[in-house]
Amino acid sequence: MFDIKLATHLAELSKIEFTENELKKITAEMDEIITLMDTVSDFEDTEISTANNAVGLDKIREDLKKPSSPRKDILQNASEKDKKAFSVPKVV
Amino acid sequence: MDLKELILTATIPQLGRGLKNKIFSSVELTSAYLERAKILNEQTNAFITIDEEYALKSAEKADELIKNGKAKPLTGIPLSVKDNICTKDIKTTCASKMLEDFTPFYDATAVSRLKKQGAVIIGKTNMDEFAMGGSSGTSCFGAVKNPYDLTRVPGGSSGGSATSVSASMCTASLGSDTGGSVRQPASFCGITGLKPTYGAVSRYGLIAFASSFDQIGTIGKTAEDCGILLNAIAGKDDLDSTCSTLPFKNCLKEINKGVKGLKVALPKEFFGDNISGGVKSALFKATETFKNMGAEILEVSLPELKYAVAAYYLISSAEAASNLSRYDGIKYGHRSEKGKTYEEIIKNSRREGFGNEVKRRIMLGNYALSSGYYEAYYNKAVKIRKKLKAQLDEIFKTCDLILTPTAPTTAYKIGSMEKNPAHMYLADICTVLANIAGLPAISTPCGYDKKGLPIGMSLMGKAFSEATLIRAATAFEIQFERREAAL
Repeated sequence: MFDIKLATHLAELSKIEFTENELKKITAEMDEIITLMDTVSDFEDTEISTANNAVGLDKIREDLKKPSSPRKDILQNASEKDKKAFSVPKVV
Repeated sequence: MDLKELILTATIPQLGRGLKNKIFSSVELTSAYLERAKILNEQTNAFITIDEEYALKSAEKADELIKNGKAKPLTGIPLSVKDNICTKDIKTTCASKMLEDFTPFYDATAVSRLKKQGAVIIGKTNMDEFAMGGSSGTSCFGAVKNPYDLTRVPGGSSGGSATSVSASMCTASLGSDTGGSVRQPASFCGITGLKPTYGAVSRYGLIAFASSFDQIGTIGKTAEDCGILLNAIAGKDDLDSTCSTLPFKNCLKEINKGVKGLKVALPKEFFGDNISGGVKSALFKATETFKNMGAEILEVSLPELKYAVAAYYLISSAEAASNLSRYDGIKYGHRSEKGKTYEEIIKNSRREGFGNEVKRRIMLGNYALSSGYYEAYYNKAVKIRKKLKAQLDEIFKTCDLILTPTAPTTAYKIGSMEKNPAHMYLADICTVLANIAGLPAISTPCGYDKKGLPIGMSLMGKAFSEATLIRAATAFEIQFERREAAL
């Protein structure tokens, strides 16, 4: 059963703020969605299989070291910044 | 030559010949498309951005290339690009308030390869927010409308791309396909959509939704047009470590070979009660056509298909929850004015920036990954994915293609499905398999229902068998009388 307590926990993990009404609404929707997801519980894994990727992602190449993008470009889409950095409220 | 008339039915090779033979210039062609796109965008909402100035400048450059004898298959051809594929100096919004003002400083690899050919990008197309949906109704810029019936959805998430091609607002388009987002809108809009093999096209610059499923795909009025675009964008790219390092072979090389001798499999699970009668009868007719053209039809079974939708949503949402954690309102994207602390700014930015469907997927993804649920949901889904892939591999030992419907129904009324998200997810049953297994699939029209709405069929093949898909789809398209949307 997907309840408000679980929704609140997931909202925290998801870093999304919800009002009380929004939380009630999404709880009901998620309950239906999880019912659909529960169909996977009927799947019987008869073979010993590891849960690695099915599309060959285990064969990816080594990382390449290359120059980074210019600072000006990286900052261009930030709404609050100074010449060198993103601006955030004081953390510590 | 009346360009206004020509563009209603034109394919890339026809336009390429017209440009090469100087019957019209790319500037003239682009202007004709732009004029139509601006008028029809009022009705269809297919484009988020139409960049007339940029398009005409690109067309001028293309005319120079043609004049100098340097034309390639896409030189001077007006195209559209889905708004989750980065375009340098042109807004790329993902149809989300979160990225409403985001302007990339780089091109996606697929876009830079189109530009290298001298293609003309006329604009960026509307879509479901962050490519999450099958109706193109979750866009923060409003719903896209189907050119065959403006009260109906064009499918999604690449609904703007499909509409832009179907309504002849451009010749062809780039979309993206995570669970069917190129093929299903192509089906609803009566055109052709190709999802390539995972790793065939670089994902660099495609805004990530579910990284092990996402692929850039191509949309056109014919399989050949889809193939021309794919040939241009596919192949090794150091900027995407999951992109195949093998050279991509010309996918048009078998186009005229027909289907004689090809073995086409029909999995019985795709023809159950959840598929509408009209779709089923169009598919059975298509099967007969393939038989008459010399293909061998075989009935097969995919018993684990019943788990496919849930497995797809669990894994893709888990990946989405991780990918979308980058949107904090700080580095780029919408930043809330509410909240005093770093944490509050992040939570409020995500609350204001993301729409409801995106929030649901993030919540579902975090649910599947969280302590106590991981084994039962995420891990189980990954095992199902492996099992389905194994079953498909088994079928492809004796068959060349798998033929299925592209969607259980034809296009439905705008707003009729949104109230029940779980119900909407089930509609992806016909398309998710290709993404689950990383295989290529093409959708092409195979009929029309009683209301005149298009019905699509899908052909799925072995990894990197795009040439066979285009060959079979082309053979069918020659036999099939396509009807243009009456816009």
